[in-house]
Amino acid sequence: MLPMPDPQRAHGAPSASGAPAGDAPLRARTFLAMGTVVSLTVAFPDGHSDEATDRLDAASRVIEADFEALEARFSLFRNDSEASALARGVLRLAHASPLMRGYYAEAVDWRRRTHGAFTAERPDGVLDLSGLVKGRAIAEAGRSLAALGLHHWCLNAGGDVLVSGTPTPDPAGASSTDGGGQRATGGRAARPWLAGIVDPADRRTLLGAYPLGDEPSTAASAAASPAALADASGAGAGTGEGPATAGTRLALATSGSAERGDHIWAVGRGRPEFVQVSVAAADIVTADVLATAIVAGGRDMLDLATAQWDVDVLAVTRDGGLLATRGFRAPRAA
Amino acid sequence: MRARAAAAAALASAGILAAGWQAGNQVIEASSTTGVAKTGTGATGNAGAGDSTGPASGGAGSSTGTGGTGSSGGTGSSGGTAGSSGSQGSSSSASLKNGTFNGPSEDTRFGTVQVAIVVAGGKITDVKSLHLTDAERRSQMISAYAAPILRSEVLKAQSVNVDTVSGATITSDAYLTSLQGAVDAAHA
Repeated sequence: MLPMPDPQRAHGAPSASGAPAGDAPLRARTFLAMGTVVSLTVAFPDGHSDEATDRLDAASRVIEADFEALEARFSLFRNDSEASALARGVLRLAHASPLMRGYYAEAVDWRRRTHGAFTAERPDGVLDLSGLVKGRAIAEAGRSLAALGLHHWCLNAGGDVLVSGTPTPDPAGASSTDGGGQRATGGRAARPWLAGIVDPADRRTLLGAYPLGDEPSTAASAAASPAALADASGAGAGTGEGPATAGTRLALATSGSAERGDHIWAVGRGRPEFVQVSVAAADIVTADVLATAIVAGGRDMLDLATAQWDVDVLAVTRDGGLLATRGFRAPRAA
Repeated sequence: MRARAAAAAALASAGILAAGWQAGNQVIEASSTTGVAKTGTGATGNAGAGDSTGPASGGAGSSTGTGGTGSSGGTGSSGGTAGSSGSQGSSSSASLKNGTFNGPSEDTRFGTVQVAIVVAGGKITDVKSLHLTDAERRSQMISAYAAPILRSEVLKAQSVNVDTVSGATITSDAYLTSLQGAVDAAHA
């Protein structure tokens, strides 16, 4: 466990008494992984019981192992990793593990789909899958949490977020998602997880927020937009194929060009147009890859992303201006 | 191992082929989208449009409700010119055979689109949408276009009210400049 920073040092830091409405206490654990901090927050109906504490601690250890397993294989900062062996030329990709080759194939596919804005090759030619691995690790950890029977949690790995359920589960302990809407009307209504987004100009403050949850809490905005397409879907189109229905937003990833400047390379000329890009999507790998790709690829990639994927995007330009899809806007009057 | 390498190489080249194929498709899509715009407008501007234009663009033409509605709406000006060309071209209609004809399956920015036209008496009498789905589950509802907004227009939250904090990854000691740290501390 890490020593917690003094809450007083942060502007507007929450105090225990300032917990959001809803009576299920949130419990959090943190650990170090992949050069950053991972926070697991779980909403238990009986949050302060010993059982809840035990389950939280156990879950935290399990996902810490998930992260460690991937880091041990893919970290370029570890000399004994498979990724380092590849980088040194000791190991060839054709002889690499199935997992390594699978991730490489996935990275190549993302490169194609983002028209080269996302790439797993550093300019020096070294294969660097870190842009994919963290999202993968978060997704793996999410599967572990589900396997452990946890339904209401928020996982934050260095600012990339994946959620399940709600921070205000039914005290009766029903883990099933009730069919009703998820309007955050306070009280015991299940509300979405609310993720704040850091202001890149002043990282102690929030630029905005975005609701994440199983129910497409932002789907109203997505559904309202392309009336023409609803028309177009006429005969053949099935809606909601697959596990994630349109408008579902369980994941939010933010990438920046200021931090870890070695991490994202602008495509072509000059400095990146955007200093920070947040992408909300149904899954964390898509959110993470697209956020990275938009920072690297600028406006063209932003337009490609919003056209090709069901995502919301908030981009901060170098002069502090904002570009946003509807999901990042304050609610309409309606 | 050798077999694996060969398989990997084959996969890679298949990927390249697929990419090239897609690039080709983009061109096709561009041209057929223009066709939609032309005849769509031609139909309104010119009562005879239905039996006027060539088979391919005619098929797309009455599909205003189907495939490319969004894009055809966008190109109003080209539609204007097409209206007149439609009226000039009303001689080429006799060659349409009766029957139902499936158009090609096109990857568009809205997903995969395929339409069929029904021809009776040498005229297109119906256009059906055969396919508008999307293998990768990118939804039929595309995301809203990202537009410039003011800071005051962003969905806001006080930091005391958020459950988690998203930001660009930084080193662990900065820990999202302790905003996330503070949230975690409150939930310890």
